[in-house]
Amino acid sequence: MNNSNWLIRREFWENRAIWMIPAAFGGLLLLAALFTQVSIPRLTTTQASEEAAAAFWVVVGGMFYLVMGVYSTWYLLDCLYTDRRDRSILFWKSLPVSDITTVLCKLLVAMVIIPLVYFAAANLTALIAAFILSIRARASIGSSLWNGNVWGQVQVLWLYVIVTTAVWYLPIAGWLMLVSAWAKRAVMLWAVLPPLLLYILERVFFGTHMVGQIISRRLTALPAVSFNGSKYNWTHEGGVVDNAGSAAPSVWHLINPSGFFTSAETWIGVAVGIVLIVAAIQLRMRRSEI
Amino acid sequence: MAPLIEARDLTKKYGSHVALDRANLKVEAGRIVGLIGPNGAGKTSALRAILGLTHYEGHLTVLGREPFRERTALMNECCFIADVAVLPSWLRVDNAIDFVAGVHPRFRRDRATAFLAKTQITGKRRMRELSKGMKTQVHLALTMAIDAKLLVLDEPTLGLDILARRAFYDALVNDYMDETRTILITTHQVEEVENLLTDIIFIDKGRIVLDTSLEDVATRFTAVAVTADRLDAARAEKPFYERHILGKVVLYFENTDAGKLERFGEIHTPSVSDLFVAKLSGGAA
Repeated sequence: MNNSNWLIRREFWENRAIWMIPAAFGGLLLLAALFTQVSIPRLTTTQASEEAAAAFWVVVGGMFYLVMGVYSTWYLLDCLYTDRRDRSILFWKSLPVSDITTVLCKLLVAMVIIPLVYFAAANLTALIAAFILSIRARASIGSSLWNGNVWGQVQVLWLYVIVTTAVWYLPIAGWLMLVSAWAKRAVMLWAVLPPLLLYILERVFFGTHMVGQIISRRLTALPAVSFNGSKYNWTHEGGVVDNAGSAAPSVWHLINPSGFFTSAETWIGVAVGIVLIVAAIQLRMRRSEI
Repeated sequence: MAPLIEARDLTKKYGSHVALDRANLKVEAGRIVGLIGPNGAGKTSALRAILGLTHYEGHLTVLGREPFRERTALMNECCFIADVAVLPSWLRVDNAIDFVAGVHPRFRRDRATAFLAKTQITGKRRMRELSKGMKTQVHLALTMAIDAKLLVLDEPTLGLDILARRAFYDALVNDYMDETRTILITTHQVEEVENLLTDIIFIDKGRIVLDTSLEDVATRFTAVAVTADRLDAARAEKPFYERHILGKVVLYFENTDAGKLERFGEIHTPSVSDLFVAKLSGGAA
């Protein structure tokens, strides 16, 4: 436990981009909020105002999510490779820290800690941007993007997305780590090439495209599996009134945890992910510098 | 007492290439052992196996443990410097100390900081900003502050200038070594470590060619400078190596009575480097 603590700190020392990229991206969004043309229509009804607020928060969160996706992919590909390339693995391995702990900490950083950093950055950015936009649009606070109810629900939404993303993309993360632990060079190429080759071979020899389907479904189907399709557009057309009696669109009807966590697809992915991660740990034990 | 390191039939293959070929060696506690061999002799493979960094065949115990399976536990009692250039470039000196202090139960921070206080290195510097000699000092500070039974050094002074090399070995002998510690050094620069070793192990083509203490070298090996007229008589005693220098011939004998050899010329105990050349140049005469 103590070692994990230090290993996670270590990742922050090495990868300052973990917080610098979201900080810079947030700064950029705030500049946009300050200097671009905005016209927020005066929203008269609570419902319209909440919808506008929800849309705003979801868009900000979505942008951070995309940036995080790109960075995390890079991080996972790099995390078991760089120290082999610069031979510093020989220093890390001279310390009484097991390879299992090392690999699992890096996985934890990619799947939980980086998302939480982005979660904090997105929140901070959105709050400040909402403040700036409200003032610029001369909207009164009450009817603007500051909306406690919406904010609370967005928190639930984002945390739900963080959890489901970590679970759903575990096989992808495992594959990236395996490549990172294995490749002697060109990690990016090795991450893409084998699946691509499998895809082509399957097309040529069997005329089918199972591999392509499996991979593209894994990459794109998370929203479909983790949300209730009909309410995905964040409206309350279903007319559901939540417990508090508010007419606000409720995140609780949007998310579909029972569906997600009972889906066989989810757990097959987790199983594949675990196999790949175990393989990455085994490689980590056997390989030192390149 | 059981030997600190014991290898029997230690074998390591990379595909069809055999890096270690049924090597046997023993290292006793309290010694400074040089593992000496030409490039590609299997030194690094042997060390990798001893440190648990690689899989191997054969029997190997280090501090009573199986290195590959028990690397984490082994690293509590053993530390190594595999070339000083391996400290990551982004790491800050103070963070390095924090980290090692955090994960290593036998690390004594005060010793590391005391060692660094004698240098010009400050905590906020990153490794990439330090010269190779300074990095060596940081690595030494980190390593020497660990109460380890075994210290393994793999070509520790590679790429360092003469001043830094000297400083490295001086610190090692003066500040680190005592009777509770054991040091295993690999190097192909024999002259540099000759004076500090108590034992030598020669390795060539994956096999151990010689494993002996320096006290034994004196009784076991004799070199005789022979003049041309007595050469044939001396050769009859079966030297294992001959060296021609400036009109003289130096013959090297193993396990031959020195008294018998005296009549051929001046006898002396070969230096480690001479012995190394003699042993590894293959075949006699």
